[in-house]
Amino acid sequence: MLEQRLYRHIDWPLLLALLILCVIGLTMIYSTTYDPLEVGVSPLVFTQACALLIGMLGLGAVIWVDYRWVADSVPTIFVGLVAAVGYALWFGTSGGGANRWINLGIFNLQPSEFARTVVALALAALFSQWQRGPQTVMGWLWTGLIIGLPFMLIAQQPDLGTAVTLLPVAFAILVFAGLPLRYVSILVAVGIMITPVAWTYGLEDYQRQRIASFLNPEQDARGAGYQQIQARITVGSGGALGKGFLEGTQSRYNFLPVAHNDFIFSVLAEELGFLGVVVTLSLYLFVILRGLDAARLAKDRLGRYLVVGIMAGFSFQVIYNVAMSAGLAPVKGLTLPLLSYGGSSAIATLVAFGLVLNVRMRRFTN
Amino acid sequence: MRKLSNIDTSSDSGGKRGRSVLALTVLRSTVVLAFMALVVAFWLLQVAQHDRYLQLAENNHQRTVALTAPRGTVFDRDGRVLVQNRSSLNISIAREQVDDLDTTLRQLAEVAGVTLSGLQSIVERHRLAPAYRPLVLIQDASLAQVAAVSARSVELPGLFVQELPIRFYPGNEVAAHLFGYVGEVSDDQLELPEFNGLRSGVAVGKAGIERAYNRLLMGEDGTRRVVVDSIGREIETIGERPPMEGRQIKLTLDYDLQQAAEAAFEAAGFNGAAVVLDPLSGEILTLVSRPSYDPNLFALGIDGDAWTELNSDRHRPLNNRAIRGRYSPGSTFKIVMAIAALEEGVVTPDFEVPCHGGGTFYGRHYRCHATHGTVGMREALEQSCNTYFYSLGEKLKIDQIHKWATALGLGGVTGVDLPYEVGSLVPSTTWKSERWGEPWYPGETISVAIGQGPVSVTPISLAVMMAAVANGGTRVTPYLLEAVDEGEGFLPVPRPVPKSRVKLDPVTLETVTEGLWYVVNRAGTGRRARLVGRDVIGKTGTAQVISLQGRLAAVDSSRDLRDHGWFVFAVPAGKPELAGVVFGEHNEHGYLSAPIARHIMETYFAKKDGRPLPVPGLPEERSSNRLFETANQ
Repeated sequence: MLEQRLYRHIDWPLLLALLILCVIGLTMIYSTTYDPLEVGVSPLVFTQACALLIGMLGLGAVIWVDYRWVADSVPTIFVGLVAAVGYALWFGTSGGGANRWINLGIFNLQPSEFARTVVALALAALFSQWQRGPQTVMGWLWTGLIIGLPFMLIAQQPDLGTAVTLLPVAFAILVFAGLPLRYVSILVAVGIMITPVAWTYGLEDYQRQRIASFLNPEQDARGAGYQQIQARITVGSGGALGKGFLEGTQSRYNFLPVAHNDFIFSVLAEELGFLGVVVTLSLYLFVILRGLDAARLAKDRLGRYLVVGIMAGFSFQVIYNVAMSAGLAPVKGLTLPLLSYGGSSAIATLVAFGLVLNVRMRRFTN
Repeated sequence: MRKLSNIDTSSDSGGKRGRSVLALTVLRSTVVLAFMALVVAFWLLQVAQHDRYLQLAENNHQRTVALTAPRGTVFDRDGRVLVQNRSSLNISIAREQVDDLDTTLRQLAEVAGVTLSGLQSIVERHRLAPAYRPLVLIQDASLAQVAAVSARSVELPGLFVQELPIRFYPGNEVAAHLFGYVGEVSDDQLELPEFNGLRSGVAVGKAGIERAYNRLLMGEDGTRRVVVDSIGREIETIGERPPMEGRQIKLTLDYDLQQAAEAAFEAAGFNGAAVVLDPLSGEILTLVSRPSYDPNLFALGIDGDAWTELNSDRHRPLNNRAIRGRYSPGSTFKIVMAIAALEEGVVTPDFEVPCHGGGTFYGRHYRCHATHGTVGMREALEQSCNTYFYSLGEKLKIDQIHKWATALGLGGVTGVDLPYEVGSLVPSTTWKSERWGEPWYPGETISVAIGQGPVSVTPISLAVMMAAVANGGTRVTPYLLEAVDEGEGFLPVPRPVPKSRVKLDPVTLETVTEGLWYVVNRAGTGRRARLVGRDVIGKTGTAQVISLQGRLAAVDSSRDLRDHGWFVFAVPAGKPELAGVVFGEHNEHGYLSAPIARHIMETYFAKKDGRPLPVPGLPEERSSNRLFETANQ
């Protein structure tokens, strides 16, 4: 099915940039889990390498199938996602006070990481029927269901950070799908108005504390503000050229918690310095712009919406995590796609990019 | 099943397309702007404010740990170790490494043989301290305890043994007041220039030599720069300045004499004080204050109960009687009276007084304790005839007495190199008017003449007085520090200059010395201090604790109202080697203090001649003479 013509249209530069980012991620995971007292490489590095391999295979598999075929199966995929997220919520493995994982024996799967892509796919499929967004009550109900159901389930785990990443996906597709600007303004206004309500009723104490401490970290330097202060110290102490690979003191001596996960970019900034930051951010920017290019080139609404949804979610997560890793955003359990340790995130991200590549390479097909 | 995508294959209308392009441009610009903002933010953190964050990162993972410097060793004049350090082993717990604190404490209590409640109360007391900071659970653990804990290191994770230099006084209570003790520097002390720059919590001298020469003895704590992780565990050492041990010092003290004096007190069965000097130099050979205490108690940080007990003990063991106790000198003051009278020329050595058991002065009858008949100065000293000295008191002005008492060492402090010395008081007209706003009445001089009235002296000042009598008029400054080892062996420190020097008339000296020789070697009250062939001179005295009227009034009081007994001495007459004082607290009679002086002197000569040192309290020492048991009140 992958004809010679299609093969030629694979976006090799994007793929290469993705690969480089994966390698940087692996290298940084190696650094953050490096223990001079232990012989050999941390098993986390192998786990991540395996996940990346699976992700690449997934990416390859997704390329094979026309994205329109994929979109046809979207009801099944969506139900599957909701079932998996619900299963994780009620029967899953808990960690850090949240039920996010399904134990698959070899590794724990975090289905919510796939939610962004599935929601993008479902919304794209739904909206591709309409010229100017949902015009009917039924249309709005479907839209609300596609966004709301996974959002509620993930927020209940509780994993508000991951749930919130669904919003830029949905918002971008709604805007691209021709939602009249007055609706867009209403959405924004409602969002602003429910913020105090959400603050009071929707957030747990620890979540409120995280945001409060973001605004004034020194007030709670040993508690919730700790990570933020340490993140800034980690980044700032790196300097222009960094302390050198494996030489970061902040992660080595555990001043920065979950360094291999949510704060991997802080460690990168510490060890590789401003130079490393600029290089890595350039790669991410290239990936995003190149990905969005696929939306421009997409031959149909489905492809365009799909790419925009995926890229909006990806961009939001990258920008948020990088800002957080410099102590510039409240601490949320959000990974940095492609760099952070986490198999589900790596696989989900690569599969999503498989869809982006898929849309681009089939821009001339019917 | 191509339902959804079928609908979509038609190409977009032009307007729709334009909006899509616009939205895409907006999205792209937003992302680019966000990335630029991030790059600026990272530039600010990493380049503009790099120095500040680098410093913060270093503060994060580097700590300076103090290494306690051992205090200097203290030697006696013969090079015997008096005060040293020993390593103390503390069993500590790092709570962050303990999963089940209760179980660990219970097991530790079991294997170390300590009470569980004690361990729990220590942990409870430090509940709020960071978990990585070790808590000392068993201070100064025994080797058996250390072995028991080490053998169970697997079952008892988080427990470890710390080594610390601790001040050690091998003689326990011997010379405790002289050595003093150490303790954590107090906030008040930190304000003193002497303790400037010390961090709180360090051990400093609190009393005695430890306090007086704290700067020499203290040394300098070292530091170790370590890398720690986020929970404070030490990962590696990146720099070390080793601690500098305190200077070794050598004291003038003769530990044999010190022990002899303490043993003699023990045998005599009363408390008190003794000071023995080299009368020519002022070197302190012995300095005793009893009851004593064990300064080792303070070395580990004295616990509250022990401190309360020491402080509330009615015998006040912490009080250094030798330099802080002020008592009425009683008849020992007659030596000062004799010298003052002869030097002022109010009498000659041949001056005689008839004693009919007392005499009338300024219209009032003053009692003597016996009827001595007609006595000259030598006999008056020998028999401690009050009537004779009342007569001298009648002839001398109080300021003359004050002048000679001061010249001999009884005015103010002696200047000994020990902290918190109290000065002696001999009244003068100035003192009277300043203190009471009244003139001195000549009648008051009569009581002063026998060492009563407002005369109060410390034992050490009487020792200086006796040294001045023995050396011919030099008021030496008693001192303890003989030499300091700055790293190149012991170098003697300059001897403190005498407070004053007067040239006593040879006739005065001869007369007084003869009288004091009679006290010990004839029918006098100091016979129990006699050493055959050694020409001991001395004088007993009784310090009234309370007057006769007061005694009647206070008959029901629980206070010990029995008199104190003095014995001052020097030996040998003419070429003195020792001068000193023995103060017997509530022992009622000066002659009961004399055997202690005798034992000290006998020990001194035995040591000098290379003979075996005497044992206190043996029969031959008790040159019992029933006749004189009641001679001196």
